[in-house]
Amino acid sequence: MSAPFAGSLLVGQTGDPLLFSVDAVAVGIVILKVLVIFALLLVATMFMVWFERKLISDMQNRIGPNLAGPFGILQTLADGIKFFFKEDVIPDKSQRKVFILAPYLAFVPAFLLFAVVPFGGDFNGGNDGMVTIFGRDTYLQLADPPIGVLFILAMSSLAVYGAMLAGWSSGSKYPLLGSVRASAQMVSYEAALGLSAAAVVLVTGTLSTHSMVTSQAGDGPWGVLPNWGILLTLGVPFVIFVIAGTAELNRPPFDLVEAEQELVGGFHTEYSSIRFALFFLAEFMNTITMSAIFVTLFLGGPSGPAFFGPGWMWGVIWFLAKVFIFLFMFVWFRATLPRMRYDQLMDLGWKVLIPLALGWFLVLASLEVADARQWNRWVVGAIAAVVLVGGAALLRKSVRSGAALRAEEVLD
Amino acid sequence: MGQYLPIFVLLVLAVLFGAGSFVASKLLAPRLPTSAKLGPYECGIEPSREPPRRFSVRFYLVAMIFIVFDVEVMFLFPFSTVVDEVGLFGLVAVLIFSVALFESFLYLLGNGALEWGPVVRKVIPGAVAPSRTAATTVRRVGTEGRGRVPAMARAADDGGAAA
Amino acid sequence: MSILAVTEVLVAQNIAFAIIAVGVVVAGVRLVTTENVVHAALWLVVVLAGIAGLYILLAAEFTAIVQVLVYIGAIVVLFLFGIMLTRARLGEGETVNKKMRAPALVIAVAMFALMAYSLWGYFGSTELEVMGRSTAELGQTTAQVADTLFLTYLIPFEVVSVLLLAALTGAIVLARRD
Repeated sequence: MSAPFAGSLLVGQTGDPLLFSVDAVAVGIVILKVLVIFALLLVATMFMVWFERKLISDMQNRIGPNLAGPFGILQTLADGIKFFFKEDVIPDKSQRKVFILAPYLAFVPAFLLFAVVPFGGDFNGGNDGMVTIFGRDTYLQLADPPIGVLFILAMSSLAVYGAMLAGWSSGSKYPLLGSVRASAQMVSYEAALGLSAAAVVLVTGTLSTHSMVTSQAGDGPWGVLPNWGILLTLGVPFVIFVIAGTAELNRPPFDLVEAEQELVGGFHTEYSSIRFALFFLAEFMNTITMSAIFVTLFLGGPSGPAFFGPGWMWGVIWFLAKVFIFLFMFVWFRATLPRMRYDQLMDLGWKVLIPLALGWFLVLASLEVADARQWNRWVVGAIAAVVLVGGAALLRKSVRSGAALRAEEVLD
Repeated sequence: MGQYLPIFVLLVLAVLFGAGSFVASKLLAPRLPTSAKLGPYECGIEPSREPPRRFSVRFYLVAMIFIVFDVEVMFLFPFSTVVDEVGLFGLVAVLIFSVALFESFLYLLGNGALEWGPVVRKVIPGAVAPSRTAATTVRRVGTEGRGRVPAMARAADDGGAAA
Repeated sequence: MSILAVTEVLVAQNIAFAIIAVGVVVAGVRLVTTENVVHAALWLVVVLAGIAGLYILLAAEFTAIVQVLVYIGAIVVLFLFGIMLTRARLGEGETVNKKMRAPALVIAVAMFALMAYSLWGYFGSTELEVMGRSTAELGQTTAQVADTLFLTYLIPFEVVSVLLLAALTGAIVLARRD
């Protein structure tokens, strides 16, 4: 009985080998990993807040934070400490219990989301990113459940509750409007998020985030390109996922939730002191984790060539470099793109992204089956493209007739 | 199940962190509540009316359609993991499923279920509203001699039928 | 390396089950006794999350995650939107009607008896072979679900699409203005 639990690598097995046999050492390593990841996430969040403020001030030709520490890098720490000394106000009209609960519901999923992201390890030459800590083999990733991708989706679907309940329980006008907007927006883009993630699962054939990185580490198309999800899924799901991810985070240009000109601060208007800090923390932590998820699903996670020194370190370096690209992108979006209107937001989600993601998934599935049956890939692809265009035409027609119902004829 | 142990440990740590921050805030922060602070935020003025309690049915509709797509996604994920084993057979099954869904989604769109924008006002070319003549001096003369106006003609037809 | 004996794992599992089960029952009772509709919805979330935890204990992780994604992530959100649409004032329970408590209790007890009877009749004292399975098998539960879904239970799967079609068509009633 003990044999399968002894940590031997079985064919088709997923999961961190450390955790097949749970004993004192394993638990110790788990707690150590949890503490390290927890601390790193907090530090990374602080960095991100500073980075966003600094970069956006550069883009807007002003100085930005520059007093606390070199280049103002300790600004976020100073802000964080200040929050502890600020008065904690619970408005009279709020629903006390839910009001207190809501920040937890926002930031706990934000923490948990990072648990399934692989952030290091050597994936070169058939290695699967294994490292040895205290004589135990493990992955540089907190947990590797066999349904990692679904875990990501589940946690991001829980994030709706924080925004929704915070606004409702405040008993105030602007938070309520903000939370209704937020929850409808998050719900709308979640389907697109799921459909485009399913496309990656289709080409890599696994739901485990670690196996996903392993399968993306090999040689890709024509032997020169990397075997990344972005190329295997032919790009479209990546674009959809990035747009839907940005909307899911309520970041610009999809930040209608906290459109200052209309809604003051959105769903957390009534929150002050440490309760507000937790919302703020969750928001920026989610930004980092979402970037890490982009990298895991579409850019091969921590896989990349190793040059000198330990291989796992290069994994971490590649991972950070790739995540940094997306962090920059998010700030760039904020500096460049004007906020969308609510109907444009809904139209983009429901009438463009979701049908496109679904159609693209079916095209990829057809190609996958064509490969298995040794049919001509190009012929199948062409037929699928024609069907896709036909579907798009039908969609356009029904959108038009839907819009016509809203039109009202007026006299001059 | 062991794979979920670290997630559970992280959950506990996150909750402890949250609770710890609240305790720290309780100890460090001043508490001087006044009625102005505890009132709902309204940019400095007294709220003149209660916040709205009811919302457009469209939000409910969005959640409803989302459930349908969520269920679809939940079927696509297991399909994606076994696409090589179930092959063409499975693909056809998923295609039938998706087409059934897509076609009802189209019907829904065609009925304007997800129209959020403002009502589009289409001006009927050549038509002049009688109400408009009261507001401006230029058009006080009415619509005589301006050609057959569809809306006016319709009204005239209705009137004729009634007579 | 020392490995926990299977019996010890089972003991740990039983303890976890007991904790989750008690939590679920308490949350279930609060769900039907609370006077605040929003609180009731949140207690429902606790119940559903607890049941997802039980699925994980049974190594049925796909079912667990579907529970979280569809029920907690979508259906309870729909409930909350529904609460917003009605006149129910958030946080004030004066509209909650308690007259039906006695019949509801009778139905609940009858349902419990029925389910307990049928479960006991089906399983009796046989134990599910979860711990006896190898890790390779446990890692493949989603694939097993998929195989059964697309090969054995294909017709029910397609019928689900008709059900969803009916749901979307029902939504038209809300969408149309006439």
